This record gives sequence, C-alpha cells and structure tokens, in this order.
Amino acid sequence: MRALVLALLVSTPAMADDVTVFAAASLKTALDPIAEVWSAETGHRVTISYGGTSTLAKQIEAGAPADMFIAASVDWMDHVQAADVMAQGGRVDLLANTLVLVGGAGAGAISLADLPARLGDGKLSMAFVDAVPAGQYGKAALQSMGLWGAVETRVVQSENVRSALAFVARGEAVFGVVYGSDAVAEPGVTVVAAFPENSHPPIIYPAALTAQAGEAAAAFLTALQMPAADAVFVDNGFTLK
Amino acid sequence: MSDWLSPAEWLALTLSLKVAFWATFASLPFGLLVGHALARWNFWGKGLLNAAVLLPLILPPVVTGYLLLVTFGRNGAVGAWLYQATGFTFAFQWMGAALAAAVMAFPLMVRAIRLSIEAVDTRLEDAAGTLGASPRWVWLTVTLPLALPGVLAGAVLAFAKAMGEFGATITFVASIPGQTQTVPTAIYEALQVPGGEVAALRLVMVSVVVAMGAVVASEWLARGVARRVRGA
Repeated sequence: MRALVLALLVSTPAMADDVTVFAAASLKTALDPIAEVWSAETGHRVTISYGGTSTLAKQIEAGAPADMFIAASVDWMDHVQAADVMAQGGRVDLLANTLVLVGGAGAGAISLADLPARLGDGKLSMAFVDAVPAGQYGKAALQSMGLWGAVETRVVQSENVRSALAFVARGEAVFGVVYGSDAVAEPGVTVVAAFPENSHPPIIYPAALTAQAGEAAAAFLTALQMPAADAVFVDNGFTLK
Repeated sequence: MSDWLSPAEWLALTLSLKVAFWATFASLPFGLLVGHALARWNFWGKGLLNAAVLLPLILPPVVTGYLLLVTFGRNGAVGAWLYQATGFTFAFQWMGAALAAAVMAFPLMVRAIRLSIEAVDTRLEDAAGTLGASPRWVWLTVTLPLALPGVLAGAVLAFAKAMGEFGATITFVASIPGQTQTVPTAIYEALQVPGGEVAALRLVMVSVVVAMGAVVASEWLARGVARRVRGA
C-alpha cells in the first residue's frame, strides 16, 4: 500500500519551484482561488491534494512528497510532527471554524435545547462521532449541552462531514451537525442554530511545512496569512485565528 | 473469541454476516433468472440488460450508493412511493445495507451463474424433453443440478463481496452501530483515529478469516457437487 501510494505520487515529479500542499477536504472552496491568485502573482505552481485529514496525515507519515500540510485537527498535526517528517518550528494555527446545526433549505431557526423534540423520529446526520473531527466536536458539543443522551440513537454517521451534509441536503436526515464553512458551501441546507463556542474544543486548522519544503512553500504559507487570503477564507465561512 | 473483539466490533461482525447472508439469499432467485436469461434466451434489449447488470462492477461504489440514495431513500423516486404505500423504508436500516451489498455483489453472482448454465450440454436437456419432461421440470432436474457448482460459487463469491462492501453502503445508509455499521465501515472508522491501527488490525484479521473461509467453502462445495454430478 505504501509503495503504491509512493509510486502514484512520484509519477508526477515536483519541479523546483512547485509547491505541493496536502489540505483537509473542507478547505477546497477557499484554498483553490487563493492558490490560483498566488500562482499568477509569483509564477510558482501550486498543486493541492485534498482529502480526509487522517488519510493525508498517514500519507505524509509514509513519506509522500508534500511541502505543506493543512490539517482539520490539532491531533493529527501533533501526530505527524511526532513522526519526524515535518520541518522544525513554523507551525501556525491558520484558521478556525464554527459548529452549526443545519436543516433542509428554508428551515426555520430553532433553539438547540428543542433539538430532541424537533428531531422526532427523524435522523441527525453527523460525521463519525468517534473518529472524524467534525463528528467528535459535534458529540462533545451535544454532550456539554446535555443533549447527547436524547439524540444518540437518532444519529447517522458518515465518513466525512461533506457526506453528512449531503444527507441533510437530500432530505434524508432532518438535521445535521457540520462546520459553518460547510453550511456556506451547500445551498441545499440552512443554518438553524449555532453551537456556542465554549460547548466544544476549539476547531483549529493548523498548517506546517514538511521537512522537504523549499522557499516557495514557505512563501505560500506566509501568503495564506495575509489579508487577501483572509478575506477569501472569511467569505467561505471560516473564522480567522 | 468475544474477549478479543470489543462489543462494538462483535456487533459489526454479526451485522456484516446478517447483511451479507440476506443480500446473497434474497438476490439468488433474481441471479438465477437473469443468469439463465443471459445464457439461453434471445430477446430485445439483452445487451442492455447485460450492461445494466455489470454496471455496479464498473461504476465507482460511491456513485452506486448515491444512485441508491436517490432512488430508494425516503425522498427517492421509488423510496418515497414505497414509504407512502407500505411505511417501509430502506434508508438508514440494515435492509438498506443489504440492498446496497446485493446490488454490488449481483454482477459477480450473475456472471458465475450465466457461465455455468452456458456450459450445460443442451442435448441432455433435449433428451429429458423427448422423454416427456416439461421444460420447468427439465430445468429443475437437469439444468440446475449440472450448473450447481457455478451457482454455489457465484453465491459464495457474492457473499464475500457483500461482506466487504463499503463505498455504496456508507453513501446510501451511512454508519449506524447495529444497523448499518458493517466490518469495513468499522475498519475505516478505526483508521481515522490516530493510533487506531491496532483496533483495525483485529477486524482486518476477522475479515480475512471470513473471506478465506468463504472461498475455501465454495471450492469444497463446488468440487463435492461436481463429483456427485459426474458420478450420478
């Protein structure tokens, strides 16, 4: 498996000034336009591989030729840093996100305390509550608000937060717990409530360079923290650190 | 055995066996019908039927799962009607997982059945016919027994495929412990946690044992049946 992953990645060799970024899937809508603008300005080509944070972390740990890693979870960034494949220092908390409750298009706002009653025998769509960051944050938030026990049996879990969102957009699940940025990206859902910031651990996207990163990658990481990039991130529903 | 699998893993394994068994059992009559039709009958749209049957083998599983969701979900074209008429829904139920597994495994089952029916010597069937047996009786007493090794192999292959189905299942019915969280889903979930490889490895070994068991059983069954058919 490891050899296969390497073979696939090595078959598109990175040029000296090319930057290869491994980024959490939820960043796609914001990161693509930022990278395009930066490429046009600097002439460096940026290749971004999007995927689940855990998958990307395992690939980086296995030696994938990435220059930069932007994770959706602090734990996985800690994990790859412990594995000795990242550059020393330079890790930044690039972005933050909010956690919201979404309903179908046009759904009215509700109070989170009413969630069990409003759910009835419908389903609550979440990412894996014990494995995927979005699901873990959601479970923590529902637990801290004393709602988890009442909704636990109604939860359907998906392999990532975008799939969880799709069940709500298709009307198969009544509500879903997703990131604020996901709610912005999907026109088929409406935010019906926001989870208080203190109800769950902070949702942080750390970014760091790998041991093989060059100057171009470092420059791109700096550019991601500039006001122009910030504006795009905010437009896409992220909050700034 | 239950000591070294956690209750959740045990639940996933028993659910997987249940889902795979019903997926295989319920699709076998359709598999026989379609396999026979493709092997023996000439009709308009045969190529189309063949392509449709093979489609789940070629489409990305996620696409198959999405098509199932759009068709059989609570708000799907067929699913909404089914729910209105009977109150039954595949969505987020183990039956939905079985449906997804059955659809994904169907091409393998049909292929094996079709090939084994094609291999049956039609002169034996004709001989039975001249001796006064009705076509249905010929099929039951001549065609089916002769094709049985292939039919069994196809069923076991479908069972093994159903045990391992992941993409279509999670897209169609998500993951609910005890309802739709099968072994592959549990493995995938375990791998999403830093350091979850150990938990995943236990389930991986269980899957390997079940898959190997299925393949060995199918070989053994097929050989046994073939010997009996030859000896008869």
